[in-house]
Amino acid sequence: MKSHRNLGLVAAAATLLAAAPLSAIFDRWTWLVQSTIAVAAVAVVAALARLGRAPLWGQVLAMLGGLLLTLTWLFPAGTELLGVVPTPATIGHFGALAEASLVDMRSYQVKVPDTDPLLFVTVLGIGGVAVLVDLLAVGLRRPALAGLPMLAIYSVPVAVYVNSVPPVPFAVGAAGYLWLLAADNVDRVRRFGRRFSGDGRGVDVWEASPLAAAGRRLAAVGVAVAVLLPLAVPGMTSGLLSTLGSGAGDGTGGSGRGTTGQVDLFSALQGQLSQGETTDMVKVTTNEPSPPYLRFGTADQLRSGGFQARSPSGVPINRDFRPTVPDRAEITRARYQATVEVMEGFDMPLLPVYPEPVQFKLSGGWSFDPSQQVLFSNRERSSGKRYEFEYVRSTYSPAALRQARPLPAEHSLRRQTVTPAVPEVEALVDELTQDQGTEYDKVRAIYDHFATENGFSYALSTEGGTSGEEIVDFLTNKVGFCQQYAAAMAWLVRAADIPARVAFGFTTGSNSDGDTYVLTNRNLHAWTEVYFDGFGWVPFDATPAYGVPGAVRSDWAPDLEVKEEVAPGPSASAGPAGSGSGTSQNQLQEGLEGELSGLPNGTSTPTRPESSWLWWAVGAVALLMLLTAPALQRSALRRRRGGRRTPSATPAGVAAGGTPSGEHHMVVLADADRARADAHAAWDELLDTLVDFRQRINGAETPRATASRLARDTFRADSDARSAVRLLGRAEELARYARDPHPGEPLLPALRRVRAALVAGSDRRTRLLAATLPASVLLRWRVAAAAALTRLTSSYGRFRAVTLRWSPRRLLADRRPR
Amino acid sequence: MTQQTWDEVGGLLPHDEFCAVGDAIVANIEQVIEGKTATVQLALAVLLAEGHLLIEDVPGVGKTKLAKALARSIDCSVRRIQFTPDLLPSDVTGVSVYNQETHDFEFRPGAVFANLVVGDEINRASPKTQSALLECMEERQVTVDGVTYPLQTPFMVVATQNPIEMEGTYPLPEAQRDRFTARIAMGYPDAGAELAMLDGHGATDPLESLRPVSDASTVRRLITHVRQVHVADAVKRYAVELVTATREAADLRLGASPRATLQLLRTARAVAALEGRDYVLPDDLQVLAVPVLAHRIIPTADAQLARRTTDTIVSDLVHRLPVPQERRRSSYDTRPATDGGRVPYEPRRA
Repeated sequence: MKSHRNLGLVAAAATLLAAAPLSAIFDRWTWLVQSTIAVAAVAVVAALARLGRAPLWGQVLAMLGGLLLTLTWLFPAGTELLGVVPTPATIGHFGALAEASLVDMRSYQVKVPDTDPLLFVTVLGIGGVAVLVDLLAVGLRRPALAGLPMLAIYSVPVAVYVNSVPPVPFAVGAAGYLWLLAADNVDRVRRFGRRFSGDGRGVDVWEASPLAAAGRRLAAVGVAVAVLLPLAVPGMTSGLLSTLGSGAGDGTGGSGRGTTGQVDLFSALQGQLSQGETTDMVKVTTNEPSPPYLRFGTADQLRSGGFQARSPSGVPINRDFRPTVPDRAEITRARYQATVEVMEGFDMPLLPVYPEPVQFKLSGGWSFDPSQQVLFSNRERSSGKRYEFEYVRSTYSPAALRQARPLPAEHSLRRQTVTPAVPEVEALVDELTQDQGTEYDKVRAIYDHFATENGFSYALSTEGGTSGEEIVDFLTNKVGFCQQYAAAMAWLVRAADIPARVAFGFTTGSNSDGDTYVLTNRNLHAWTEVYFDGFGWVPFDATPAYGVPGAVRSDWAPDLEVKEEVAPGPSASAGPAGSGSGTSQNQLQEGLEGELSGLPNGTSTPTRPESSWLWWAVGAVALLMLLTAPALQRSALRRRRGGRRTPSATPAGVAAGGTPSGEHHMVVLADADRARADAHAAWDELLDTLVDFRQRINGAETPRATASRLARDTFRADSDARSAVRLLGRAEELARYARDPHPGEPLLPALRRVRAALVAGSDRRTRLLAATLPASVLLRWRVAAAAALTRLTSSYGRFRAVTLRWSPRRLLADRRPR
Repeated sequence: MTQQTWDEVGGLLPHDEFCAVGDAIVANIEQVIEGKTATVQLALAVLLAEGHLLIEDVPGVGKTKLAKALARSIDCSVRRIQFTPDLLPSDVTGVSVYNQETHDFEFRPGAVFANLVVGDEINRASPKTQSALLECMEERQVTVDGVTYPLQTPFMVVATQNPIEMEGTYPLPEAQRDRFTARIAMGYPDAGAELAMLDGHGATDPLESLRPVSDASTVRRLITHVRQVHVADAVKRYAVELVTATREAADLRLGASPRATLQLLRTARAVAALEGRDYVLPDDLQVLAVPVLAHRIIPTADAQLARRTTDTIVSDLVHRLPVPQERRRSSYDTRPATDGGRVPYEPRRA
């Protein structure tokens, strides 16, 4: 029975671990606390039921009852008995919570806040999984099946983050599952008696069995492969990489619908980016001579990293709309008609429209959000759609805009002037706007600040900074693409107490045929929209025009590179600058950093092939260096050994003497040292050369024996090489064992002679290998690696011995350290 | 009978002279023993290393002849002991005899009081008699009735024994075998040498006509010379490793003694000097390992069952043990301490 109790605890803990992926869904950790309470209640009730020898169905009922009581206590309706006993009103309350959760799922995006309905659904789900896991693992002893309900939890973030599921929670959940499997099998083995190690020693309860080491390794490798394999699969890399690379979960740009069929548009754009091809996205025909920019998304939630989209909310399009701002004399308005055909390349739950649409001819479940000016659907996708709409085009003159008054304090758009507190930004805005009287002049001052003459330039990636605030980094580095300009200007305008947001869409592009424009992924763009009271949302584009093909500017937001304020046309609305942005139905992430790296447009396309060429070159050089490293090291070694001066080169140091015969040389000490070192170097070089040329080397052979073996076998036909190798052997022998080293003959020529003989005596393959991948160097590396591994293993062993001494399981089992 | 000190022996022998004397002795012996140059040289090396020689082989291959030829080539006192089962220790060491004239006991020196003692068929004597040699061989002295008598220098025991015929023999005890520096086997002569032997030995015994080419004082100088031969630290270490390896070998019940290490190095010095070198090589140790070590060790029962002789066990060890790589460091040496990818040797702990 004790083992069952343990297994029940493990099952509960594994359930909680398997719930780890939910951390990617919730903004805070309340769900974990409540889920832990629910799982603990289930586990305790199950343990009690088993203690009372309840049958299996009784255990299940008890667990469900425990879960119900916990839920009642956590989510009371107010009518409970003693706070925990549910009444019919409680059940009704639960039903209401469940219904509300559906609404919440639709209305919130990840990460969701702690709302009662969502928490209720989460706790109910995890508690249910806990009951199932306990039933399968403890009751039915089928822990493998318990993986299925655990997988169900994991499928929730998978459904939300289609392209980038966080790997760490997955690993945690997998570890929980593996723990459950291991605990079950340990329990099974224990039924047979004591566990034992391979060498006959008994394995204590707290110890991991040495015999199961292979299984543990397999499990670890399995988890690692499951996490790492997606990296190797093309098309799945972006999600995990961007998650790991940017270090910010927000970089994943997922969409927040709890339903199926979600697509992370950002990743789709990334895919096209990596292909480096131009994809047609939208074909639009309009009767307006100079149309503004087609827009499909809005981001008005400011985070420290940029602007984020929120879920659009609107009404079905089967009725007429009116412009958000009533007509007035200062606004020039005209009504046009446009037809849009969306190609396969643009697949989102959003449809691009010109601002501001008033009438649609479009079937299906599409809705329009008048405040965000976004045409969206909860069910349908944009791909392949064809539709017509009429829109009202507003243009303004700077003079007219100067009449706009500051927004009333109680205006609902006031919340769009909130900015994170960044002193540098506030100081800059104060400096720019202090002398400006009207709202428009303030905005213009900020808009003008992004001029090239202030040092701003266009580039496809931003530079890093040290300030800790990405906005400050951008304002300091002054390098970026449309997303940075749009977001930075919106931020500054908001800091000046004027509502601003970022709009996403297409520039008009350069590919037009009369009144038909074909817009591609290279025309994707982001710009700023500023709200003027009485005028509505007015577009501004701060991105340098040279970075945007086909850029057209407006009267109120002229091209900053052109000194004269020449309006290119009365109809030009928003400025363009072309890079793609991460958008999706519910979330449009406007990153200040370059991790969303937009699509390159016309002017910047050359840089990408160039940089990839550079990477290829760097990779090739690195590969080349890796391949030539052995040969280079070998030749360096040879040069170092050959660099010694031979003893014969210093005859002054050698004095003949001692014996009358004159054969016995006395060598002064310093030169003896040198001669000895020379002999050793020559001998080492000889041995390495032999290894390179696949000659046998025997550590139990003396230099003399080696030399005579070579002379006898290898150099049988070459008398020069024979005498050379004997000379080398004798020199080494003397250097090692005699009082005085070899005094006379130079060793380098002998070395060369031996090498030449070896070269002559080997086949082509051996020669090639000796030149490119010298076996001596490889051997040395191998020996070094083996030594390092040995050191590592032994230090790990010591570490393990120490940690095992203080293993909590051992201490819990109350075994004294050995 | 006065012992000459080493200082009285004389100065160092010049290199050439040493070689000349050594070659002359070897050549002289070869007049009797044909085609066994290496064996003869080893016998001479043992003499110069101040050791004792055990010649072990089947009957009739010239064991006794080698011992006698060696003795005759050097003009020094030679005694021969035929070890028979009834030989007494006093026959070997000497005995105190009562002299009626002086009314005192008088020491009569035994057979060991000579420069060269040839002990024939040593394993035929009883262990009691064999033991009489223990003191004199190691300590070069004889103690009789509490009085210690030093032996002459040089002093060498050349013993022969027959390994085949076991009946009526007493195998040498371990302590006795350890006192022999080297054990050599004669081996059969090749066909040419045997033919020449038939010619030479047919009419007269060449041993009779053998004339000494050296004398005791010259041998003493040779011995002094041998002592001066240089042994590098690496070689000393190698000798120790070699002997240690026999103690750790799985096939051996008993390894070689520290005395073996000492005698191995001494003999190696003699061999090096006879080859005209003034330094010892690991090669010398490798050559001498079997003759010097093999008779001192005892194989395990398993090894005996596997028909592994001590000779093959020792030579296997020699082929396995890495030669010392340790080198003298010099100021010119820029190599890292462990160069060449070779792991520096670390002495194993017993």
